[in-house]
Amino acid sequence: MTTETLTARRPGGTPISRITRIVKLNLTNPWTTIILPWLIIFAIFALSYGIWLIILRNASNVEDASEGMQYSGASSWIFVYMMVIAVQSMNLTFPLALGYGVTRRDFYLGSALTFALLSAMYAVGLTILASIEDATNGWGIGGRMFTAIYFGGADAQWWERLLTFFFLLLVFFFVGASVATLYVRWKANGLVAFFLALGILLVGGVALLSYTESWGLVGDFLAANQALGTAAWLLVPAAMAGIAGFFVLRRATPRS
Amino acid sequence: MTTVVEAHGLTKHFGKVHAVEDATFTIEENRIYGLLGRNGAGKTTLMSLLTGQEFATSGRVEVYGHSPVENAGVLERTAFIKESQRYPDDFRVKHVLKSAPWFFANWDAGFADQLVEEFRLPRDRRIKKLSRGQLSAVGVIVGLASRAPLTFFDEPYLGLDAVARQLFYDRLLADYAEHPRTVVLSTHLIDEVSNLLEHVIVIDDGRIIIDSDADELRGSATTVAGTSASVDAFTKDREVLHREGIGGLASATLAGLDASGRRAAAAAGLELTPVSLQQLIVRSTTSGIEEK
Repeated sequence: MTTETLTARRPGGTPISRITRIVKLNLTNPWTTIILPWLIIFAIFALSYGIWLIILRNASNVEDASEGMQYSGASSWIFVYMMVIAVQSMNLTFPLALGYGVTRRDFYLGSALTFALLSAMYAVGLTILASIEDATNGWGIGGRMFTAIYFGGADAQWWERLLTFFFLLLVFFFVGASVATLYVRWKANGLVAFFLALGILLVGGVALLSYTESWGLVGDFLAANQALGTAAWLLVPAAMAGIAGFFVLRRATPRS
Repeated sequence: MTTVVEAHGLTKHFGKVHAVEDATFTIEENRIYGLLGRNGAGKTTLMSLLTGQEFATSGRVEVYGHSPVENAGVLERTAFIKESQRYPDDFRVKHVLKSAPWFFANWDAGFADQLVEEFRLPRDRRIKKLSRGQLSAVGVIVGLASRAPLTFFDEPYLGLDAVARQLFYDRLLADYAEHPRTVVLSTHLIDEVSNLLEHVIVIDDGRIIIDSDADELRGSATTVAGTSASVDAFTKDREVLHREGIGGLASATLAGLDASGRRAAAAAGLELTPVSLQQLIVRSTTSGIEEK
């Protein structure tokens, strides 16, 4: 017989390739993860540009208008969008990966690498746009979208913005992913329990700050750490969420 | 013969539901197994246990000599697209065809393309928008083209039309002949696949009730028919799977009848008829219902 037994063929992959192919799986349709977000960024930029023109034409005090623009939230959606990408990955790409014979461990590590790579790409892109915004004095008309105060403001260094974008993206990716693993493993019950616990912690925290009249400390913290420092501090809960997500997913079975 | 799967006392409970109960069986290399049973009998759960997707409540299972749970070396040799498989929201048929080869070392892209044409799958259609039959075809194509050494087909016939079912049957047999591998095929449409199967495992209410070579099984059961008195006399000391009677006539399905038994039946004036795999399994899995 000229037939061959399939088990004799080469084994699947190295530990590294088992993780990198999860990156490819997460990015199988680049429209969702790469192309569409950039199109939205440019669409929002075009709309914002229009709004800046309207404001500048009608504002009685141009200085005031320019100052107000530093509070632009026009690029904040990108963080929520990336959180949704992370949720979809855990909720829907994960079951397919299991069907393809992937371990939960490799899936989670590969997805974490995907999130880091996407964070880096968007951080670099947004930093380049922020630098152009800087160099052109707000696209020639004092507009502010990528140098908003939340990313360090107009005076921040490029590397400060780069790290701020990168850290914030990581935070949203990993918080989204870890909450999604609760859903994958325990369905609605997991989410209810989590948000109840989170609600109790938040109300408790607010009560603590209010009764001890310590809200000033929060202001001091934000002022002392600036955008970059705050983003860096947020990496701590994000890392905890990322590690928790790993252990939650390791024992999870997707149900339909 | 090499053993690919070895399960011992394998049990999976979901709360009070005993999805799989104390399953002990082996699966040998390079054969086609039918995992048969009614809806909800535990077929998908059993296959999920074999591919490490479910965690056993108790008992153990070894695939290629190791537990499949979180074992990359084992799982890389398996393909298991569930009947209820979920895909990413933004996936179209072409995205499945693009991503699957990264995970299956033996993937044959030419074969996959051929199957897409033959099943008339629209490559650009979103998975969400596929009909039930087209969705089954996606699973069938991944299962066939992956050429995974241990391939599971979970209700592959669901929603497929007669032409597509025949196509699956033909392509599976032809490809299996060229590239032998271990195939486990679950279905409740038994007659459709009965000629394909080399070994049959029947699961009912979580328990394995038949685990037998398909040819032996086909040959084993026989229906004897005649007058009630002669049927009852003949079946008194034999295992009866099913009996029905009208007036003075009766027929009984017997689990096994050897050559001397056949001669005795003929001598008693009884008529012998073979029992199809489907009838045999229906008789075996509904015994509790008919008595009511």
